[in-house]
Amino acid sequence: MKPIVVIAATAAISTLALAGAGLAAGLVNVEQKNIAFSTPSLTVAKGSIVNFLNSDTTSHNIIISGEGLSMNSGLQQPGVAFKAPMMKAGEYQVTCAIHPKMKMTMIVQ
Amino acid sequence: MRKLSTYACVLAVVATATLAGATSLRAQAAKTAAIPLAQLMAAYQRPHDVPSPAGNPTTAAKVALGKALFFDPRLSGSGAISCASCHNPSLGWQDSLARGVGNAGSKLGRHTPTILNAAWVEPLFWDGRAATLEDQAKGPLAAPAEMNMPHGDVVRVVRSIPGYAPAFQAAFPREEVTIDTIAKAIAAYERTVVSGEAPFDRWIAGDEGAISPAAKRGFMLYNAKARCASCHSGWRMTDDGFHDIGLAGDDPGRGKLVPGLVILDHAFKTPTLRNIAERAPYMHDGSLGTLEAVVDHYDHGFQARPSLSAEIKPLHLTDQDKSDLVAFLHTLSSRDGDVAVPTLPR
Repeated sequence: MKPIVVIAATAAISTLALAGAGLAAGLVNVEQKNIAFSTPSLTVAKGSIVNFLNSDTTSHNIIISGEGLSMNSGLQQPGVAFKAPMMKAGEYQVTCAIHPKMKMTMIVQ
Repeated sequence: MRKLSTYACVLAVVATATLAGATSLRAQAAKTAAIPLAQLMAAYQRPHDVPSPAGNPTTAAKVALGKALFFDPRLSGSGAISCASCHNPSLGWQDSLARGVGNAGSKLGRHTPTILNAAWVEPLFWDGRAATLEDQAKGPLAAPAEMNMPHGDVVRVVRSIPGYAPAFQAAFPREEVTIDTIAKAIAAYERTVVSGEAPFDRWIAGDEGAISPAAKRGFMLYNAKARCASCHSGWRMTDDGFHDIGLAGDDPGRGKLVPGLVILDHAFKTPTLRNIAERAPYMHDGSLGTLEAVVDHYDHGFQARPSLSAEIKPLHLTDQDKSDLVAFLHTLSSRDGDVAVPTLPR
C-alpha cells in the first residue's frame, strides 16, 4: 500500500510544480494499481502525453472521453503502458471499461 | 507489477510444496524470504466502516423505513412480491433458484444476485446498468417482469398507507414521499446487509487455527495457480468489474450497454464470494450447481471466443488443488444473525 501513496503523492507534487510553472507539456505518468488510478484528478498542459501504466495483476482497458474525443487503449495487459497524447484543451473523463469503478478526471490546459 | 508477478510465481511453488507436509504457510514463507504472505493477506482485510454516501447518509430512521419497504409486497403490481421475495435473507439474500421468478411467475433472464455487502458495490446489476444503490432500488419495482409497479403507483400506494407517514417524516423530515426517497430508504437498509466475520477473516487477523491446512493451500492457489484473485480480489472477493468467463449462451451482458468493445460482449459483473457456499446455484445464469462445478468450469470448462477475458486460461488443476480451493471457499462463510421480518405499516 505504501508505494501507492508515494506514487500518488509524487503525481500530486508534479502537478503542483507544473501549475506553479504555468504548465509545460511533457510526459505525465499515471499508474493503475489495485483497480484504481494513482490519482483521481490530473491537470496537464496541452500537448502532454499521459502514460498509463498497468501495475495491476489483471488487465485493464482505458477509455478517455470528452471534448468530442473518445480514446480506447484496447486490452491493456499487466505491465503494459498506454500513452495518450492530449492535444486539445478541455475536461476528460477517464475510466476502465472492464472496471468502471476506476475513474479519473483529466483537465487539459 | 513485477513484484506482484514474482509473488504469484513463488506462491504457486509454495502452494505445491505445502501439499506434502503439515508445515504452516508462515513457516514456508519464512523459508522463502521473497514471499510477502503478510502483504498478500493484508489485501483481504475487512474495512472498518460501511460506506454512507453524501447524497444519502445512512441514518437509523432511513434504515428502519427501508427495511419495511424492502419486505413490503404491496409495492408490486400483484401485491405479492417484495424485494425480499428474491433477496431472501434465509437464502443468502438470493432465492436459491437458477434464474429469478418475477411477476406472474415469469422466469427472469438471469440469476438473482445477492445484496450482501451491496454498500460497496458500484455499479450494480449483472450488467452494471445502475450507477448507485439508489438507482438500483428503483429498477425492479417498475420492471414489468419483476415487481411490475410503475413508480407513480408505488408512490401512491406508500402515501395511501398511514403507517408510513411517521416513518417518512422521521427519515426525510423536509422531503415528500417520492420514488427517490423510497429508493433512498431501501438503499440505506441494504447498506446494513453486511456479511459477518468468517473463519477466513479470523485467519487474516492472525488466528492460525481458524481455517484448515487444506483451506490455506486453497488460498495460495486462489492467488496464484488458479488465478481466482485476478477478478475476485479484495475482502469481498470482487473487482466490481465485468468479464466474459466463457459460459455458454447468447446473453450480451455488459456488451449491450457498452457496445463496440469486444471484451464486454457476454461480460457480467464479478460477484462477491462472501458466504458463497450458502448461495448456490452459481454464475449469472445459475447454470452451475456446486462449487466443484464452478472450479471445473474455470479449470477447463469455459467456451473460447473473442470476448473471453484475458484472465481465463486453462488451469491444469489437480484433484487435490480443486479440493483445496473448495475448502478455502467454505471459509468465507459467516454465521450471520437472524433477520427479523418487520411488522409492516398499515
